[in-house]
Order: sequence, then C-alpha cells, then structure tokens
Amino acid sequence: MTIHEKDIPQKTDFTVVGKSVKRSDTLEKVTGSAVYAGDIALPGMLHGKIKRCEIAHAQIKRIDTSKALALKGVKAVLTHENVPHVLHYGSPHPRSASCTKDQYIFDHRVRYWGEGVAAVAAVTEEIAEEALHLIEIEYEPLPAVFTIEEAMKPDAPLIYDNGLDHNNVLPPVVVRRGDIDKGFAEADLILENEFDLGRPTPAYMEPNVCVTQWDGNGKLTIWSSTQTAFMVRGALAEVLGVPLNKVRVVVDHMGGGFGAKQDLFQHEFLCALLARETAKPVRMEYTRKETFLGGRSRHPGKIWLKQGFTKDGRITARQARIVFNSGAYGSHSPGVTNVGTAAMTSLYRCENVDLEGRAIYTNTPIAGAFRGYGVVQTYFAIDLQVDEAAERLGFDPAEFKLKNAVREGDIAPSGHPIVGHGLEDCIRRGIEESDWVNVRKTSGGSGVKRRGWGIGCEMHGSSAYPGIKEQGNAIVKMNEDGTVTLLTGTAGLGTGAHTALSQIVAEELGVPFESIGVVQGDTDVVPWDIGAFASHTTYMGGRAAQIAAADVKRQVLSHAAPLLEAEADQLTIEGGVIRVTGTNRSMTLKDAVAPHRGIPAIQLVGVGTYTPTKSYSFGAHFVEVEVDTETGEVAVLQVIPVHEIGKVVHPIAAAGQIEGGIQQGIGHTLSEDYVIDLTTGRSLNPSFVDYKMPLSMDMPPIRTIILETAPDPGGPWGAKGVGEDPIIAIGPAIANAIHDAIGVRFHHYPITPENILDALRETTKEA
Amino acid sequence: MKLIVTMTVNGEERELAIPPSRTLLDVLRNEGGLTGTKKGCDVGDCGACTVMMDGKPVNACLVLGIEAEGTVIETIEGLQHAPDRPHLLQEKFMEHGGSQCGFCTPGIVMMAKALLDENPDPTDDEIRFALAGNICRCTGYTKIIDAVRATAETMRTQ
Repeated sequence: MTIHEKDIPQKTDFTVVGKSVKRSDTLEKVTGSAVYAGDIALPGMLHGKIKRCEIAHAQIKRIDTSKALALKGVKAVLTHENVPHVLHYGSPHPRSASCTKDQYIFDHRVRYWGEGVAAVAAVTEEIAEEALHLIEIEYEPLPAVFTIEEAMKPDAPLIYDNGLDHNNVLPPVVVRRGDIDKGFAEADLILENEFDLGRPTPAYMEPNVCVTQWDGNGKLTIWSSTQTAFMVRGALAEVLGVPLNKVRVVVDHMGGGFGAKQDLFQHEFLCALLARETAKPVRMEYTRKETFLGGRSRHPGKIWLKQGFTKDGRITARQARIVFNSGAYGSHSPGVTNVGTAAMTSLYRCENVDLEGRAIYTNTPIAGAFRGYGVVQTYFAIDLQVDEAAERLGFDPAEFKLKNAVREGDIAPSGHPIVGHGLEDCIRRGIEESDWVNVRKTSGGSGVKRRGWGIGCEMHGSSAYPGIKEQGNAIVKMNEDGTVTLLTGTAGLGTGAHTALSQIVAEELGVPFESIGVVQGDTDVVPWDIGAFASHTTYMGGRAAQIAAADVKRQVLSHAAPLLEAEADQLTIEGGVIRVTGTNRSMTLKDAVAPHRGIPAIQLVGVGTYTPTKSYSFGAHFVEVEVDTETGEVAVLQVIPVHEIGKVVHPIAAAGQIEGGIQQGIGHTLSEDYVIDLTTGRSLNPSFVDYKMPLSMDMPPIRTIILETAPDPGGPWGAKGVGEDPIIAIGPAIANAIHDAIGVRFHHYPITPENILDALRETTKEA
Repeated sequence: MKLIVTMTVNGEERELAIPPSRTLLDVLRNEGGLTGTKKGCDVGDCGACTVMMDGKPVNACLVLGIEAEGTVIETIEGLQHAPDRPHLLQEKFMEHGGSQCGFCTPGIVMMAKALLDENPDPTDDEIRFALAGNICRCTGYTKIIDAVRATAETMRTQ
C-alpha cells in the first residue's frame, strides 16, 4: 500500500539525519573492491571497439569490412548496413517533452568529427583495435557548419531535418512577463552585453563502459555506467525490439557522471548487438580520447543580455536572447534551453522580462546534460551584468545583490512561489564570513600581483519539474531480526545518495543507521526510477524512501500493539525498541517481528511513491583571486561558499558536493574548454593533458558554510538538492573578483591568461 | 604469443602468461584479477592506476607487464591489514569524505601512502604536490587533503 506524504510527521529530535555517518559505499571504494561496470569479466568475453569518422559532415558512400572480418580473432563487425535503423532519443526521459528523437545507432551519414561508424568484436582489445584500421570507408563530404552563426544562415546545410528552419533543435523558448518597454523607459541605466560561453566537458574519471550478455532465453543483461538505468532499459528494448522484461540493466558503482551519463552513447546498443551476433558476452570501454569525442559537453553559445536599472538600485527590465550550440544531435538541448531561459526570470527580481532561448544544430560534438543544465550559462550573464550595474550606480555589489535577491513568495522559474529567504540569508552570511567590506578595501593596486574579491549568486531547482513530471519510488522491507532492506532505483553516482536514503529510512523507523542495507542498481529488482539527476535524489528519492519506511513502521506498530497491550498510536520506536508512551512497557523491534514457536515472521514490506513538484536551493560564493599582471595567470586564493539547502542529511557529503562543484566551476571559468577546430570540426584537445582541469595544486582552500534556513515542505524533513548549485555561483564570483583586482570586466568563459594580458594591454593603451 | 612473467603482487608470488604489449595496468586487471586499480586515461595523465613497484609509486599504464618481471607490486587490494581492518589511510578517507565516486580513490590512496612512507609529517602544500598527478573530479581535493593530513597526525601519535 502507498501512503501519502502528508501522513509523515514533522520532527526536530534527529538521531541519524544530520549526522555524517560512515557512508555505506566507501569501505569498498577505499579498499578497491567496489565493482564498476568495467570491472565485470565473464567467461568467453569478447572486446568491442568503435571506429570513428575523421570528417565533420559526410555521407558514407562505401564501407568495406571484409579485411577486418578476415583478421584472426575478429568475431563480428557492425556498420549502418547491418544494425537496426530505428530513430531513437539521445536521452530518453519518457515523460519529458524536452528530448529530441534524432539519432540512429549508425546512420549512413555522419554529423560530427568522431561519430562512430563501425564496431568490432574480437577476442582481445588489441585485435579489435587492429581491426578498426582494416575497415575501409569512402565518404562524400557535405558542407559543414561549426558555429551557431554559420548554422543559422539561410543557406546553411540542414544537419537534421526536423521541420524547423535554420538548424533549430526546437521552436524558440519564449518567456515574457510584464511590459519590457515600460521597464526600459523607467530605467536610469541600461546595460547591454554579449556573453560568449566556452565548451567545458564533465570529464568524469570513469570512461563510458558497458558489458553485455544474452542468456539462452533471449534476455539481455547490460552492466553499464549510467545515471539512468531504466532509461537505458527502455531505449534498448525499443531499438532492439524486445520487451522490457528481456532487458536487465545493472549499475553498481559509477565513476562519476555529472549529468552527462543520462544519455545513450552508441556503445550500449553496439555492445548489445555484438553480443547477440556472436552469442558471447562483450565488453566495450571508451578510451579517454573517445570519452571526449563521443561524450557530452556543456552547451557553448552566446547570450545577448540587456537590463535596465534605476538610480535607487532596482532592476526594471531584463531582455535576453540565448543561443546554445547543440552540436550534431539534440540530446538535452530542449531541456537545457527551457531551464536556462526560464531561470533568467529569477535570481534578481525583475517584473518586466522578455526572454528567448534557442538551440542550434552544428557539426560539432554533442552538447548534453552537465551539472547546472543551462543555468550556469544564463546566471553567469545576469550576475556579471548586475555586478557592473551596482558599480555604475555606486552600490556595493553584495548589498546590491542582497537588495534585489529573490525572496519568499516571488514566482520561481518553475511557476511556484519561492519558500523562505534562502538567497538573502546566503548573501548576508557571506558578507559576514568574508569580512566583505574590509577585505575589498585592499583590492587592486598597481603591483604585479593584484588581488580582488567577488560575489556570485545562484538558485537551482531540486527535480526537473515542470519539464518532467518526476516520480521517486522505494521499497522498504523489514527482516525478521528487525534489520531493514531498502530497495531503490537511484544510481550510485558517487554522491552518497544511498547513505542519505538509508539515514532517512533509519530516522523514520527509529532504528540505527547500521540496521539499513541497500539494494540498488538492478532494473529487475528495484522499483522503477527516473534516474539520478536534477539535484533530486535526496529531495525526491529520499522522500519516497521516507514514505516507504513510514508504511513499514505503521505495519510494525499495528502488529506490535496487541503484543504490548496497547493501541498502535501509543507506540514509538527509538533505537530499535518499541515503547508504549507514558508507561514503562517496551519490547525490542526484533522480538516484535521475529517468528515465534512455529509461527512465521510477518511479511513487512512498505512501498513509497512520491511525485514531487519543485524546491529551490540557493547559494552565494565569495571568492578572492590574485591576478598576475605579467603572466595573466589568475589564482583563486580562497572560496567561501554559502549554500541554503534545507535540512542537511549528511553534512560531509553535502559539503563534498559543494567543494567538487566549485572545482569544476573554477575549471570552466578559467581554463577548461574543449576546443573544436573551426575549419575541420576536429577536436583539438581530447586528453587530460590538453584539457586543463584544476587539480590539487590549483584548488584553493574552501570554507563551506551550509544553512538550513529555508526548508522545503516537499523534501524529507525539508531537505533540498545541492548537486548542481555550487557550479553555478562560482563562475560569476571569479569573473567579478577579477574585475575587482584589475578593473576589467570580461563577458566570456574561460577567462584565460591570454585574455587577461590582452585586456591589460588594451587598458594601458587607453590610459 | 604470450610470455610468462613472475612478480610478487600484494605479498604473493604470481606467474602470469601475458601478451608482450600489455601494460602492467591491464595485466593486473585482467590476468591478475585485481580490478581495484583503475584505468582513467591509459596514458599517464590521471594517476588512477597508481601502484607501488618496488616501493615507489608508478602509473601502471606506463609500465609494460614484462617490465614487472621480478618486481614487488603493491596495489590497493593489498593495503588493508585484513578484510575487516583497513589501513589507517583508508579509515581516514572514509571518515573525512575523501572518496565520492571512488574511481580515483585507489590511485590517490596509493600515492598518499608513497608520500607518507617518505615524509610522515607533510605540510598541506606537500600533500597537494604529491597528489599533483592524480586527478579527482568529485571532491575539489579539500577532503582528500583533510584525510591525508589526519592520517599523518594519527600515525605520528601512535
């Protein structure tokens, strides 16, 4: 039976939630026994490899696999000529209007440099690799476009014919409120800028990998590194033409995903088909280079933004035109464009908005989902321009942002009223913690190394509502010794989600954390799950687990009531002991549920389903940088991130999310850019040496502050999401700090040493 | 063609038949059955495959299996004292949240061990320098540094 969320009582005396218990997944991880998809080895297993095109846009005229097939040890070769030609979603969220159906396993046409064109299975990886070189392909080149400007020209080649003009992936997303003309007419200051956004990639440590096996009854098992096991199951079943009960997706541990591993990457289909063709298990693991080539990036693009401000510090109008570069396929472009565009209605209050977002196909690698999902880009633009307005109008930027911060009752991008004063709380606390007013007094100067402080703000939703009507599910079983098994479909992305969910179950049931075991990551066993993304796991999956636990608790108490000669509503469970309120009668949970003298233990299974709407978490980052005016290098000296995330379930894991998000955000702001050659479409830096991420020597001390001042009634005891928030605020904070240090406002990322030196030369010339 | 290579892995002498072009990383993972050592890049950029070879940390992807002939190899699986008794570094990584997705963790723990073997009292800068070749994409390194520092502190008081 499913019980409703409102049945769950509120609580203040926590015993497990809010404590940094030892995560249930870390012993395996620190001892090397955690099993990732690539660690699966099966008897007779073959190794698969993908051949990738070295041309950005072409028809395949001829493909000859005979020499590859003749190589000793090669067991099968697949091309567009012998795989199912079924159009499928890149990222198949079944309830979403926000995904595009524009991919084939292999097509007779290639649309970006590095797209897979053939696949081989062989007895060793080395032989499979050798066979790739023996496949002969003749291409008929097609005109290619790499930038959004080129792709939107009337005479540009259509990369995918979806019935829309100018390579639009989706009809423009238009959001209008109030009266934009009136807003600009009221303004004393109007700022207008174009922001240019780089192409960072998630660069998760574990390359894309899967292992596939068909059993004698025609059932496929796939061990895959994916955030969305049930989506992978659905897409495989649809494309391969088998029912869902003939596809089992298994994900134990994952080596990161950061959003991008919501997509299907060709290899899942190919590995399954190679295994079916050879009747042997097949393992397919991308190299690091392939993980760049065939992976997903954040959407590059351009944002034109114009805002009007009054002398007394209000924002009267906000007009934006957002154009994202989707790359060769749509992937998450509809979702990213919708979320990124809608986000611009909020953060800093403004009644008159006129926003239009687009995503455009180009012959470049695919942009997909990546932590921050469109909001990294649009809040970078808003926050930088608001920072400049503050300066021009004579306000302190932190005070100006506080004055304009979204607050309780304002309408959020999702259409909900905002709960609480999270953003204001974050800004106020950061001003205090950083000693903002005083530290800014020593900014700039004329030395070689100049320091500055900046503030950047963000808000982000937990769950993908209203784009996707989501659903979290959980099953909680109590064993006959009083221990508990939680079945959850949420992926073990590395965030500590299973620990958090276990804490919630333990808290709800009144049992120790150690009593909870988790079963996860097997689509044949666990309840359906939409996937681990959109900062919703604790908020939605946690609430579902709480509801399931409450269901079991109700069953246990009604079973125990006659044993304790009491009514069920007089009973409580604490520390695994059931007590009758107001008396000294009690019994252990174990005694209550155990079998007795030939009577079997009762079946105790609770089910929880939770359909969330949305909550918003908030953050303000305070950052100190040092700019070397001789080398152009920017060092981030310290970060004080202040986040308001409702009830904190596991403080260390929450802080870990924030600190990791900051690392990735420092990366895309200062150094990370996956560069595409604009004459050939070839990737220029598909390696960890040439794609520059901040590492141990680059990362500054981070003083993380977490607030619980605006809990949301939708999450378990008010808990909200935290995964995506930190990567959004850090970028504008750094750019604003650079301005504080050297007086230059940049309108793009990454801001490289060359950009700094060029800008300083320009300033000197002007002076 | 395969060659027979003998090496001591986690205290046990192993005789392995391996293709001559195979890296020590692939040998450990495939022929050795030790999948705790991870492949993040296979070209020496990420440090996920760090193991100890004759007491020194190496990227196992940059060593050929046949070069390991006669050497002593220690991997993450050999670090704990017993299945229920993790090494202090492992304890501290768990306690401080130094492992999130965990894919870089074996390499980082091995590199941290190499550091502490040489320098039992490292500064934070020395810890950061020692881990400069190990990419972690989840943690921002804050909690990794905390874990290594705490290990050193505890080891000195024991």
